[in-house]
Formats: sequence, structure tokens, C-alpha cells
Amino acid sequence: MKKFSMLLLLLTVAVAALVIVPLQAAVRPPKLQYQRLVLPNGMVVILHQDKSTPIVHVELWYHVGSKNEKPGRTGFAHFFEHMMFKGSRNVEPEQHTSIIASVGGQANAYTNEDTTVFWQTIPAQYLPLVLWMEADRMASLRIDEKTFVAEREVVKEERRMRIENPPFGLLNELITSHAFDVHPYKHPVIGSMADLNAATINDVRDFYQTYYVPENATLMVVGDFDTDTVTNLVNQYFGRVPKASKPVPRDIPVEPQHTKEKRVTLEQPWPLPAVVVTYHVPYNGHPDSYPMFVMSKTLSDGQTSRIYRKLVYETGLALTAFGSSSFLEQPGIFSAVALVNPGKSPDEVEKALIAEFDKLKTAGITERELQRAKNQFARDYVVSRLSIKEKASQLGHAEVIQKDMASADGEFDTFLKVSLDDVKRVAQKYFVPEGRMVMRIMPRGGVEQ
Amino acid sequence: MKTKTVIALILFGGLGGLLAAGPTVTEHFKQRASNEATSEWRRGEGAQARVEWPRDNPPRPLPARPVTFPPYEIRKLANGMQVVLVSQNEQPVVSVRMIIRAGAAHDPKGKHGLAMLTATLLDQGAGKRSAEQIAETIDFIGGVLGTGAGSDLTSVNAIVMKDSYDIALDLVADVVQRPTFAPEEVERQRAQALSALKVAADDPESVADRVIERLIYGFHPYGMPGSGTAESLTALTRADFVDFHRKYFVPNNALIAIVGDIGADEAMAGLEKHFGGWTAGEVPALAVTEPPDATRRVIVIDKKDAVQTEIRVGHIAIPRKHNDYEAIDQAVKILGGEGANRLQQVLRSQKQLTYGASADLDTFKWAGAVIAETDTQTSNTAEALRVVVDEFTRLQRERVSDGELEGAQDYMVGHFPLTIEVPDAIATQVLNQLFYDLPVDDLPRYRERILKVTPDEIQRVARWFIRPAQLSVVLVGDADKFVDDLKGVGFATFERIPIANVDLLSPDLTRRPGAPRP
Repeated sequence: MKKFSMLLLLLTVAVAALVIVPLQAAVRPPKLQYQRLVLPNGMVVILHQDKSTPIVHVELWYHVGSKNEKPGRTGFAHFFEHMMFKGSRNVEPEQHTSIIASVGGQANAYTNEDTTVFWQTIPAQYLPLVLWMEADRMASLRIDEKTFVAEREVVKEERRMRIENPPFGLLNELITSHAFDVHPYKHPVIGSMADLNAATINDVRDFYQTYYVPENATLMVVGDFDTDTVTNLVNQYFGRVPKASKPVPRDIPVEPQHTKEKRVTLEQPWPLPAVVVTYHVPYNGHPDSYPMFVMSKTLSDGQTSRIYRKLVYETGLALTAFGSSSFLEQPGIFSAVALVNPGKSPDEVEKALIAEFDKLKTAGITERELQRAKNQFARDYVVSRLSIKEKASQLGHAEVIQKDMASADGEFDTFLKVSLDDVKRVAQKYFVPEGRMVMRIMPRGGVEQ
Repeated sequence: MKTKTVIALILFGGLGGLLAAGPTVTEHFKQRASNEATSEWRRGEGAQARVEWPRDNPPRPLPARPVTFPPYEIRKLANGMQVVLVSQNEQPVVSVRMIIRAGAAHDPKGKHGLAMLTATLLDQGAGKRSAEQIAETIDFIGGVLGTGAGSDLTSVNAIVMKDSYDIALDLVADVVQRPTFAPEEVERQRAQALSALKVAADDPESVADRVIERLIYGFHPYGMPGSGTAESLTALTRADFVDFHRKYFVPNNALIAIVGDIGADEAMAGLEKHFGGWTAGEVPALAVTEPPDATRRVIVIDKKDAVQTEIRVGHIAIPRKHNDYEAIDQAVKILGGEGANRLQQVLRSQKQLTYGASADLDTFKWAGAVIAETDTQTSNTAEALRVVVDEFTRLQRERVSDGELEGAQDYMVGHFPLTIEVPDAIATQVLNQLFYDLPVDDLPRYRERILKVTPDEIQRVARWFIRPAQLSVVLVGDADKFVDDLKGVGFATFERIPIANVDLLSPDLTRRPGAPRP
């Protein structure tokens, strides 16, 4: 086996010399142009014109996610997202989406750890309608006990469907709940059944008054529009939403420095064992996050990535194995996961996963791996700016999470500057045993061989 | 950097469940006005208005710009390979999308999983490159290469930056024309496929999908397990892959689309260089029998630890190329599709029984099916099933109102510009027409095609193709906790199978004692 790998390695090197490849990500994608406005009530507006198709995408980001939830109220940010479809002064309950549909548009919303985002893509002529409806629910949401209680049942079904019923559905929740001690990234975005049951109508009112205010909102309008028209419409509909009466709270508990490796063994009714290794990583946009991103690519993007190659392809230890760093507003985790193939041992899998992190600390990555990661980054960068929805998402991310609009474009160059030394230094800083968690999740009732 | 792996929770799952049915904009607000007398606006109680927020009518739309189907070209190489070109230079990226007209339906008897595993093996060594060299080549240029098989087709896709177009074609040409099927790669991928099968055999969603297809299509190729069985995957040999490839992977059985930041001449020059020498061959015709007639059959698959029941309800419908396709498609959209969706309205909005419900018209080359799906907590299984079946009955018996059909059609017509935004989506539409042998001239005529369907048409097709008494039903969940309720909702007769004993190849769907799992 060893001989065989060596041979393959030699062949790989040989072919590398034969294929003509770009030495730098030669194709620089076009700059993402935008305009940024701030209304007197504090709402930020980002405009990006794209007249290639007569459609427009409107996305409203509220800077509130699961990390803003109070203890005992996990899942509330996401639950509240559902409540935003329950009608406002001028829009009947459940009608937001069907009104958008009646003009051929699509509307939906999502919640993650840091934000809650409402979006709609529509034929361009309906831009006034969408802005008017978004402003309506920002200012005058209807909140009543009956719809609140009813919608809670839908969210519970969502939790059952996404998390509780599919094999491995609980995986992510198990990882974060053990990897963090106090930071609310510990909790699943969808929350727990107990917390959902405990939520009251007063929580809904309070959440709305606290977080669904103009100064906590960023509006992205991307697509085919006339700038003067959209500016006037935004001023007209959102300008009249009053300023919040109190500042938006930002007191998120800080995760203490971990001092000792954590080891956890659990059981789940899953068909195969899972082994997880995590480390704590910096927030998105931290200078160290760029080398971290390179390592995320090197370890896990594509069939040449190290984790796939070692655990799936070469040794067959795992059915699937992947690792990725979270890039959140606050420090998160890098987690590597492997589903252990029948007949293989979780011990071996654990050793193999940790070895990949250790190798990054001692040997770093090769020049070629660095270039590959940069080329992959360039591709991701380009293919995540093809549609107006994707562009809005990039702009929102730069404004709300990175808090630096220039990063929407400048990040491309920041990334290309990452060096081999940066990668090694960052690996040594973060992939330390005391920051590590090793988790094994064994099939309930034993492993079938 | 923004990564794609954020764990986000989306309000409505899937596109099928995305949109609830509803009247048009003006009707919405008429309705609101009439409600006003009864449901009074009370600040601080029902409502949380922060200010005296004005009572308002929705703003009028701006003048609309005309929408036309974007330009594309269809060409053909001398060896018969069909080519679609869509040129758009907004981003410096090119995608190559290749389709071979052979999929799981072409699996020979007993060799289930052959098309799937052949597709998987295509990029695991081809031409002069080993599996690792292919991966290294595509990963290094920051490209993506993917292969896969569906029921009717095998696909190979590559996405690269525009300066790597030639490398992409070189790889795709090797992968499609000269796969190696090296013994060690066959064993590696076979082992992976067997493990994946094991995981899928325990996944309620996946089991429900496989079993409903098997019930509807019977032993027709579309009813057979395209991912194979433990037995069939184990028995496949290298000769099977070589044979399957030799039979079907010929240029006159292939389509390719070149999409993105590249001109037609450059695109064609590359294709001539890499595919011009590919020799045409005779493709064996597939002898396909008719799928069985719809028959009522209810299968309960018992999974003890399930907290929800996966529900599937459906029966046979039509192939993609059919005179009534447009009307039947709209009827199914009203039942459970985008822009309409009665199932979502009743099951989620009115009864809170589920997070999502939808119905799809799956249409393939030789046959098709209408399948409704939802999931609900175990204790609500019988009620949700009844609702789904009742909606089939309602669609068959009651004439769809002008307003409801108009709403569904408004969505489809209005939605059109959203479907031509990115070049890949344009190419997909053209490829679809070519693949199913439908006129490409239909593409710009989307508006007429949609609007020509009337409520009478919907009623006419619903009467013959919706058959509520012949529905197949699959329920995957914790059977003990719901089977007693089934009689009360009209399903006294059912077959019950433990999830570990499901065998798609057996007439009673049950594994014989001692037979291999899964």
C-alpha cells in the first residue's frame, strides 16, 4: 500500500509539470460596485445595479440571530422569523409570500447564528410593492396569541424534520453543544423543544421592539432599477419607520480560553459511528481567518483535499470525511467529521484526523496547495456572484458581518496575499491540544461489522 | 469571506413548498378591505405598531421592460454530438455540461446500480490520467468536475475560470470517451456505494422515495433501485462497466452545452479538437414495457425511533412528451407546486401538521408519476394522510376556479424572467427541450403555452389522470403509534414491513430470511 501511494505521488508530480496551469489566479473578477446610504433612522441601504435581466432582488438583513437569544429561549430568533409572515397593518397574515407569488416572484427567509434575512426576487416593475411590504412589517407587525401558538407547531415540525428524524440530523447540534462552554454558538439555531414551548407572546413583542428596528437593519437592493427611483421609494417607505427607543443590546457572553482537551463519547441510533475533532478559530474577517480559510480548502475542498485523500480514498477508513471552519461574526470552531466505514476503528479515524491538523503545524502546506486554495477561492468568489441573489448576499455579509463594505471586493486581494508562513503560524496558534475537542458518536446497540 | 456552509434555517423547505396559493395582488387587498369591518385594528393588543402607521394601498408597479428568451445557438458536430452554446460574459467563468442519453433505466436486468457506478467511475481514471491526477488537475485550477446518473441520463459537468476552458474540455473528453475503470478504483467506489446504501437504507426520507417509486412503476425500469442493492453492486464486474460505456457513450447519443464567458467560435474550436475524433456508434434501442396500471396499495414501513412519519402518495402519470403535459403540469402545481400548492395551504397554514407539503409531476422519457409528499409528527400520521388523499379527490371532482388558475398562471408567467437570469439556467432549458425531443421554438412562447390552459382543460385532464381510488401510499415511521388510526381514515388494509427488511426487488417488498441486507 505504501509503495503504491509513493508511486501515485510521483505520478502526480510528473503530471503537475506537464499541465500548463495559471500561476496566479489570473482572472480577476469584475469589481462589485455599490452605493451605500444611511437613513436618518439608522437603516443602512446598499444598492447594486445589474440591468442584464429585468428582475430585482430585495434582501433585508436584521442583525439578530441565535447568538442574541436569552438563556431558556433558544430557537427564538428563527421562530420570530416565522412570525414576520403573520401579517402587518396593510398585509394580511400568510399573504406576504402569496402576493409575491402572484407577480411571479419568490420570497423566503432564513436565520443563522448572526442574522435573520428576508428576501424576495421579483420582476423589476414590482420593486415598489416589495419595499412597501418590507417596511410595513418592520413597522407594524401583527402579533397575536393564536397565530403564535399555531406557528410554534410548524417550527416544531421543522425541528423534527431537519434535526430529529434523519440519520445524523443531530450531528451539528451535538458538536456545538460540547465544543462551546458559554458562547451562544453552543445552541442550535432552531433551538430546543423545551425552549420553544416556554416562549411566550411577550417574548415575541419584546424581541420585535428590541431587534426589528431600523438601526439594526440593512436593506440590499440588487438588480434592474433606476437609482433615483429606488432612493425615493426607500425614503418614502422606510424613512417613516421611527428610530428605536433604546439601543440594540450587544452583550454576548464571551467564550473563555480553553485549557484542556475535551473528550466526549455519545450514542445515537445511527447506522455508522462518527468521529469529530474540533478546534476554536477566530472570527470572520480577523487577519488569521484568511490563512484559516486556506487550511479549510487544503483539508477539505475537492478530491485532492487532505482529509478526503487520507481517510476516504487511501485508507477507506471513512465513508465520508470533511472538515471546515466556521466563519462567523464571533470566534467559532473548525470541525472535522468522519463517518467510520464498517469494519474500521474509530481509534484509527481519530488518530488520522488529528494527524492532519498536526501536519499543518509542523510542515504547513506546499506552495502548490497554497496556489490551489487560492484558485479555488477565486472560483468560489466568481460563482458566488453570478445571480443578483448571490450578489446581495455578498454585500450583506460585508456590511453586517465584516462591518467593512470594502471587504466585498478587497477580500479577493487580501486572500491572494496569504503566505506559506501565515498558514503555518496560524495552524500553530489555533490547532493546539488544549483547544481541541474529540467526540465519538457510536451507534446505539453497537457497531455492525 | 462568506462560506456556503452556514447552518441556516429556511422558512419554507424546497421550491415545491415555497409558495402558498393565493389571489392576485388586487384581490388580496380587496379581501383586506372587506375584512376590516370584522377584524379591528387594535394597537398594543393584536398589533405592535410603533407609530400611527398609515392605512395604505399597495403601490402601483413601475413600467415593465419587455422580456425575451436570451440568445443561444444549437449546433452539431459531424459525428452527431449535439451542441448548445450560451455566451454571457458577466463573470469570467465557463461551464461545460454534458449529457449522455443513458441512465439507471438502462441498467440490464439484475445489474441495478450499473449506470450509477459507471458514472461515479468516469472521473476515477481516464485517458492518461489516474483518479488522483484528474482530481489534482481540476482542483489545482480551482475548477469543479462532477459526474452522476439519473433515471434517463448520465451527466458530466465542469466549471472553470475562462482561461482553463481547454483543460476542462480535455478532462471532460477523457472522462466521457476514455474512462479506465481501473480494478482498484472499481473496488474503492463499490465499497463506498455499499456504505452509502447502508446509510440510505436507514433514512426514512430515502426509503419512502424508493418505495413509492417501486409501488408506482412496479418492475418497470423506473421502479428499480438505481443505486443498486447490496447483491447487485457486489456482483458487478469491470466488464459490465466497459460494456455499458461502449454501448451508450457515443457522440450521437450525447449533448453538450458550453456556457458562459466564451464566444461561439472559440467554444466550437475546442469541441472540434477534443470531441471531433470521437466515433459515432449504433445505440441499442431500449425495450421498455408499459408501467403497470395504478392500483391501490398501502405500505407501512416500521422505524421504531422515528419521531415523524414520511408520507408519500401517488400514482402513474405521463411521460414528458405528451399532448396534455401543460394542463397536467398546471393541475399538479395547483395540488402542490410552486405558485399554488393546496397541500401546503391545508397541511401547514390551516392545520400546522407539517413544515412542508408538496406534489410533483415527475416526467421521464417513457413514463411519469404524480407524487405528493409531506412529513408530520407520528401522532398526526392518519390525519395528514387523509388530507393528502382528499386533495387528490378534490382536484379530480371539483372544477378549479378561474381565480385559482389565474393565480397559478400569474406566477408562472411573471416568474419567467427569473428563470433566464443566469446562463446555466438558460442552457438547462434548451438542453431539456433537446433531450426530450421537444420543439425549442416553445421556449420563447412560454406565455402562450401557459395561458392557453383553461379551467375546463384542467378539469378534463384531472378527470382521467387523477385516480384517488388507485393511489399508492407509503408511510415510514413508528408504526405501532399510528397504524390503529389508519382504519378510521379509510385505510383498513395495509402491508407492514420493518425498515430493516425492505427489499425493493421482492414482489411483497419484504426481504427473505437470510437474504443479504439492506
